[in-house]
Amino acid sequence: MSSTISLNEDQRDALQELMNISMGQAANSLAHLIETKIGISIPKISAVTPSELFSLINRSENAYYTRQSFLGDIQGEVMAVVSESGLTEVASLLEYEAPLSKSDVEETILELSNILAGACLAGLSNQLELATNLNMPTLFSPNKASFVELNWQHSLVMEVQFDIELSSFSMRVVFCLDRTSLIKLTDTIDELLG
Amino acid sequence: MFQQLVGKLPVGICIVDENYNIVFLNDFFVDRMESDHRSDYTDKPISELFPEQAKFLRRRIKSVFVLQHPSFSYWEQRPHIFPFKSSRPITGEETQMYQNMEIVPITSPEHGKLACIFLQDVTAQASYFIAQQELSLALKREHEEQLKLIKKLDSAQSQLIQAEKMASTGQLAAGIAHEINNPIGFVTANLNTLKDYAGSLISICENVADKAAQTDEKCQIFINDLLESNHFELLKEDMTPLLDESREGLERVRDIVENLKRFAIEESSGWQLLDLSETMSQMIELVSVQYKIPTYKLSCQPECVKIFCEPGGLKQALMNMLINAAQSIDKKGIVKVNVIGNEQSVQIKIIDSGSGIQEHIIKKVFDPFFTTKPEGLGQGLGLSVAYTAIEKHQGTISVSSKPGVGSVFEVNLPVIDPEEE
Repeated sequence: MSSTISLNEDQRDALQELMNISMGQAANSLAHLIETKIGISIPKISAVTPSELFSLINRSENAYYTRQSFLGDIQGEVMAVVSESGLTEVASLLEYEAPLSKSDVEETILELSNILAGACLAGLSNQLELATNLNMPTLFSPNKASFVELNWQHSLVMEVQFDIELSSFSMRVVFCLDRTSLIKLTDTIDELLG
Repeated sequence: MFQQLVGKLPVGICIVDENYNIVFLNDFFVDRMESDHRSDYTDKPISELFPEQAKFLRRRIKSVFVLQHPSFSYWEQRPHIFPFKSSRPITGEETQMYQNMEIVPITSPEHGKLACIFLQDVTAQASYFIAQQELSLALKREHEEQLKLIKKLDSAQSQLIQAEKMASTGQLAAGIAHEINNPIGFVTANLNTLKDYAGSLISICENVADKAAQTDEKCQIFINDLLESNHFELLKEDMTPLLDESREGLERVRDIVENLKRFAIEESSGWQLLDLSETMSQMIELVSVQYKIPTYKLSCQPECVKIFCEPGGLKQALMNMLINAAQSIDKKGIVKVNVIGNEQSVQIKIIDSGSGIQEHIIKKVFDPFFTTKPEGLGQGLGLSVAYTAIEKHQGTISVSSKPGVGSVFEVNLPVIDPEEE
């Protein structure tokens, strides 16, 4: 088994389209819940090494990080990078009352990550007819050292950015799949492509 | 069987319908509820049974119904959602249960869309985690205190080294001063004699010049040529001032040596009364020899301020500050020393119009080994030694500075009664 991960162009296109739909559904769900417009970027799909993953998620200062694992037919982790700016407005949309305590802020971040990650995953799973379950999200602070020690060489990541209108808030969601799940995913996509 | 199993699960299960009314509670919930609610909870709104976090629960349940996606709550952010007592009411330190909650969407043919709350008792983990955190905090504090102690020890050690060095430098200076005094003595005496001799020589030459006219022409020309070729007129005029200046120079050398001796000798002389005005003036004289650029000013109010102190340490402190002030001036500027004394305290201000101290380092200037001088030119001990010495006199030392404008070092010393010491 080679250590690099490769998707052919068809697979990549299909996955990108699937992600697009899932992310759209996710944005819709959140928009519905907090009654405001949400913008999404075009999903980026790439194969990364641990240090590339680190620089991918560690691009912004003043951000919070969450991670959430999922199990089932495909397994992996979703990481979310939540901007500090605009968080107060979003919290008030989620019916938190100002001033926000530290716990309120943390809860808002965890809830947002959970909603978006959950919706993305659910969308993807539904379209591919895969069963997945999301576990409890937790806050974490990434540091380069711990990424270097990760025991994988390559992973497939799918990245998308959400922006909330009327606020400077933005959030990036990064999906990472392990190798077995990736094979499962590409097989499923191949089946779909027929 | 499943009914029994669900009932006995060690996880709380609470199912609500889309109107937030309770459809089912398992034993975990029922056992922990107030007795009057235990029998008739069905179809009651969840906010009536658990009003404490009703708003939060409603919001989360709503999100589950809308998104059809699980929602989580973690004890760290929201420890007590349901008002349940700790599972260790007798032996535990906690009174309330720490809870993790997960709400998942489910459906049933009878009720349609439902939300199922899973409640986990994580009191043990939470209290363990909290204890760990407290422990780590305590450790951190201890560690910081140790670091402080180590720093203190370090600075004490460096001050000892410095004191030792100063003591030996002082002895050395006293020895050298004594040695210099001897040659100065005989050079001064010789110069006096030399001046007498020069006077005699000049009058001889003048006489010879006067008498030249009375001799024959050949001799007259010879004498005049001789005087002229040796620039007698210039010699005559220049010799006395030259000798006088040399003597003045020697006197200055003698003064400096004297100052040095006086300054150095009282190293470990213990506590005694010190005339600050005299000390400062001596000190300024000493410093101005080495640092000639600044203009020095001294003002003393009243004219004579005496303080009971340990002269060695205090002088060292003031000297270090004065040298710093002098060094801060590289072109033109003033170093001013103000001494103000009253019955309770003495204030010494050393003001310079030098380069000043950058704001980000001003807190560090009293730290041992902190220096802005190039490597090898300063050990960064001067002000730290001063600080310790002033502290030993129960005084305070402070600094204010503006880069490019200058600095003010202020020392406040309480007047100590010799009896008390």
